[in-house]
Amino acid sequence: MKSAHGKIGLQIALVLALTAAFPAVQLTAETCLSPYIKGLKAPEKIMYLWTLPAAANSGPDYLAVIDVNLASASYGKILKKIHVGSSGNEAHHMGFSDDRTKIWAASLNSNRLFIFDVSDPMQPKLMKTIDNVAKTTGLSGPHTPYAIPGRILVSMASGPDGTGPGGIAEFTNDGEFVASHKTANHPYETVIKPEFNRMITSSWFPQKTFMSAPDKWDPKEWSNPNTMLVWDLKARTVIQTLSGDPINLAARWMLKPGAKYGYNISTAGNSIWMFRMEDDGKFSYRKAADTGAGCGPADLRQSPDDKYLYLTCFQGSEVQAWDISDPDNIKLHDTIQGVVQPNMMHVTFDGHRLYFTNSAISTIDYSPRYSMQLIQIGPDGRMKLDPNFKIDFAKAPDGPARPHDMLLN
Amino acid sequence: MKYGLALLALVWSIAPDSALRAAEVPGPVSVNPNLSVIARAPAFTLHDTLGNAVQLSDYQGRVVLLAFIFTTCPGVCPLISQQMSVLQTGLKQEGFFGSKANLLSVTVDPKTDTAAVLAEYARTYGADAAGWRFLRESPEKTKPVLKAYDEWTKLLPKGEIDHPARVYLIDQKGNIREIYSLAFFNETQALIDMRKLLGEAAP
Repeated sequence: MKSAHGKIGLQIALVLALTAAFPAVQLTAETCLSPYIKGLKAPEKIMYLWTLPAAANSGPDYLAVIDVNLASASYGKILKKIHVGSSGNEAHHMGFSDDRTKIWAASLNSNRLFIFDVSDPMQPKLMKTIDNVAKTTGLSGPHTPYAIPGRILVSMASGPDGTGPGGIAEFTNDGEFVASHKTANHPYETVIKPEFNRMITSSWFPQKTFMSAPDKWDPKEWSNPNTMLVWDLKARTVIQTLSGDPINLAARWMLKPGAKYGYNISTAGNSIWMFRMEDDGKFSYRKAADTGAGCGPADLRQSPDDKYLYLTCFQGSEVQAWDISDPDNIKLHDTIQGVVQPNMMHVTFDGHRLYFTNSAISTIDYSPRYSMQLIQIGPDGRMKLDPNFKIDFAKAPDGPARPHDMLLN
Repeated sequence: MKYGLALLALVWSIAPDSALRAAEVPGPVSVNPNLSVIARAPAFTLHDTLGNAVQLSDYQGRVVLLAFIFTTCPGVCPLISQQMSVLQTGLKQEGFFGSKANLLSVTVDPKTDTAAVLAEYARTYGADAAGWRFLRESPEKTKPVLKAYDEWTKLLPKGEIDHPARVYLIDQKGNIREIYSLAFFNETQALIDMRKLLGEAAP
């Protein structure tokens, strides 16, 4: 028994010492995912891509399962499509559960949420469809599913009829409704920094607006699309409202443990903004850079070392890399031009590869040349379009499709 | 060995006091946590290290913090047990320990974690059985309990066990009111959460 005691004591001491030296973030997710998600620490083998047919109601939305294992004979091919059994959902964003065994897929238009079982990563299955989320939660327009321990927070753009302010809906990983947390704006994306008990949500438009053609958008239907909300995460209450340029979509908190700042994009402002928790606990918010007129920023991703940001110009057909190693003086570092309508990105755990798709929403897309492509990122943060990887969704055998959000396993 | 135990003693001597000081200064913790009912806590019957049957329903009327661990865990399990040790100190100081608030650590690896191994592990962390018990069952009987808590286990190539690493806060009525990530567990926040549940009106 004495030796067992000594063995356990030594083991505990070493682990505690190591934990103190290398904080908990090591144990958590790769870049741009909720920090609570179990991390992928090896090159990706499979991609899940949430996709909708290009023509309205021409078939069910589907999860495309794509081989991204470089060593595989079917590398770069769609292995299967898991149809969700309904059309017109407007497949959009996805999120893993904290234990990485489930994918929640949100549909902007139908207020349905789909849960895929990916406990066997190579054999994903649709395990549950949550219908009529608006009735259950009092909110509509589900945008981003974001994992917290044992639960999923879904940013919801609007009230139950698709107009007015939205909020955050909270579910168990299995899809049981827990609570709704209403806001004064239209939540788009969520970022959490657990060590500070802080959550930030960005904002855009109510469902009725973004599911209409832009020339029909009525300013009377929305409120505060220029606000970022700072939450006391545990209390689920908004403690500060930050105001900047309009339509502040993707937001990224720096990954380094204890990092007090992050960035978000403003689509209407063609700008990058910086939020920072100051010494008094309050957040400052300021414009960090202009992306250039005509860019129309659509997505923002970060490198795992907090040195680079990657930004898609949806209107400008460009991918930008920003050097943020000097956080208060960020600089445009590199660009790839001529990639039509780029939108969602996904950076790998090692920061070496960046996949991107080029459909936003069926009401907003301006080019039918849908595809998923790959950018190789060098150690200097510079980007090169990979000529050996492209999935052409414009010429998909069963009809053109709009590819949107991606997850890797 | 000597070095390891000395280091352990050093960490031990610092941690409880610093946590209590932190409790006075909320900092990043929330003083008014939202503890919505998440789900009904699945019932279980397991055994403590002395062989006594322990049911979740035994704790009706008390608040329970339930952690899933294994003693050979090279990752966060030792840290959570150390943090629960600090929490034990806090609960004792507030007069909740045992009578109103209890800690339970359930092994996900009962094959390795025999009653003797668990008992030794509990001693190492200074667990006071009056309010903190370490539980196990046979692998066959453990499996449905783990499944009920969505606490799957996966054997990794080097013999380590991967599992979701969650801690559950269960209220006096047997409802799950909070789920913590082991990686970001904050014992000061857990103390505040338990205090809030204990302050709720009796059923």
